[in-house]
Amino acid sequence: MKNSFVKGLWKEHPVFRQLLGMCPTLAVTTSAVNGLSMGLAVMFVLNFSSLVVSLIRKVVPSQVRIAVYTIIIATFVTLADVFLKANYPSISKSLGPYVPLIVVNCIILGRAEAFASKNTPVKAVMDSLGMSIGFLWGLILLGGIREILGNGSFFGITLLGPGFEKWVVMVLPAGAFLVLGLLVAAMNFIEKRKTKVKVL
Amino acid sequence: MKELLVIFISAVLVNNFVLTYFLGICPFLGVSSQYESAIGMGLAVTFVMTLASSMCWMTYHLLLVPYGLEILQYVVFILVIASLVQVVEMFIKKYSPPLYESLGIYLPLITTNCAILGLTLFMVIRDYNFLQSVVFGFSSGIGFSLVLVMMAGIREELRFSDVPEVFKGAAITLITAGILALSFMGFSGLISS
Amino acid sequence: MKNAVKIILVLTFVSLLSSGILSAVDMLSKDKILRNRKKAIDSAISKVIPAAVEVVHEGVIYKAFDKGKKVLGYAFLAEGQGYGGGIKMVCAVSPKLDKLLGIEIIESQETPGLGARINKEWFKNQFKGLDILNKITYTKSKPSGKSQIQAITGATISSRSVVHIINRRIEEIKKQFDSQGN
Repeated sequence: MKNSFVKGLWKEHPVFRQLLGMCPTLAVTTSAVNGLSMGLAVMFVLNFSSLVVSLIRKVVPSQVRIAVYTIIIATFVTLADVFLKANYPSISKSLGPYVPLIVVNCIILGRAEAFASKNTPVKAVMDSLGMSIGFLWGLILLGGIREILGNGSFFGITLLGPGFEKWVVMVLPAGAFLVLGLLVAAMNFIEKRKTKVKVL
Repeated sequence: MKELLVIFISAVLVNNFVLTYFLGICPFLGVSSQYESAIGMGLAVTFVMTLASSMCWMTYHLLLVPYGLEILQYVVFILVIASLVQVVEMFIKKYSPPLYESLGIYLPLITTNCAILGLTLFMVIRDYNFLQSVVFGFSSGIGFSLVLVMMAGIREELRFSDVPEVFKGAAITLITAGILALSFMGFSGLISS
Repeated sequence: MKNAVKIILVLTFVSLLSSGILSAVDMLSKDKILRNRKKAIDSAISKVIPAAVEVVHEGVIYKAFDKGKKVLGYAFLAEGQGYGGGIKMVCAVSPKLDKLLGIEIIESQETPGLGARINKEWFKNQFKGLDILNKITYTKSKPSGKSQIQAITGATISSRSVVHIINRRIEEIKKQFDSQGN
């Protein structure tokens, strides 16, 4: 049970290790707060979808399972989108079309198909919680790095003074690719060191 | 006519779906290692995108809007796309088995390609008419294919260079994409509003 | 056969449940979303015409009146493509349609730190009191003349887009006033 939860945080990190859900990761991480908002939205959709998929797993015929999971996920995404539009319009505007794009976020359908449809609700939610928290810290990390280097601030608080020459490229698409590429390489490096130490 | 050309150039170069909007990254990373599969995937995606934009436009304007059902947009669009991909898959399996084999798992994965759903969402937000939507769908597909094929060419060359262990695979591909994105930024002045 | 029936039943049930939930949520939230939009526009109008006591919405024009029921100016929405996405703003013009009273950006997706600076006060303030009998222009150096503003360094396209959107919209509004014989 604990393993279901923990693996999403690092070992099977959805973005850095499984390389899923890259579209929103790259698109919305222009600032730490955007990363946080998207992470929370995905958390909502992922956990509730996994819960529902797991609850109905014995009732859904195999041939239509993908269609059914998709309808469930799209419903929760619409709920999240409407919630943001109604209560936090400025966040909704910054995240833009990437909220509805959570529908095709491979993490959600991937977890539903690979895990939630084959496990009990409690285990399924543990798994989705782990994955979504992993996704959340990944987004905040990427958003934070891009915001600090590209704007000199973190969560809107200016950290680096006016003497700092902003690396604007960081908040542009090119910077997103570069930072994520470097982070993936860094994660690979850390994993390699860990296995090396184990072997010794 | 000029407006359609602007849509085309914008979607292919200036606001390329992959390098500007980050749509279609999963297949972009997954299928871009070989030239042939990149071309095949590009063609399949362009085909699906053109059909998807037309069908979703019709569904939205002829079914959802008249009945005030815009809230069902995301659910309906993704179902239309999924069915479309299913049909295209059967079509390719029957008429070109080698293409079917080489695309493998990535063919059904076109459904979750954010570029397709993204395209239909943009089309609604920008309020394109039918013709504009079809051109937009086709152009986005071309833009996606262009970048995919470019990446495949680069990756094939990279196979002969000495990439450090930790960078192999996704990391170096992402960094390459970043440099590609930087170069595409040069196109941004191409269209003046 | 039994399997096919099960498939149809499950799909129908799930679809109906989804549509039902979403329609209910839609009904509950529609008002709030519309109100949010209206709030954004109203607050923008009060920023461009601060002395307005009453604003009357007629078609695409928002007429702003002062305490003595005199027209202070006309506000309207203007939108178009920017660099990173659409730009939506509220513009206000003088009653004689000869001066721009100001602009306020309500929606934009420009690059943070660059194009996003169109939201900064110094950029928007440039538009206050601009002569709009001629088209507004932009320059990268010090502005000259009564219809010119200075573009943001490194964000020429965003600045240019703002200028084009305003010019286009003012043309349309002027035509509308002409045809109404105002």
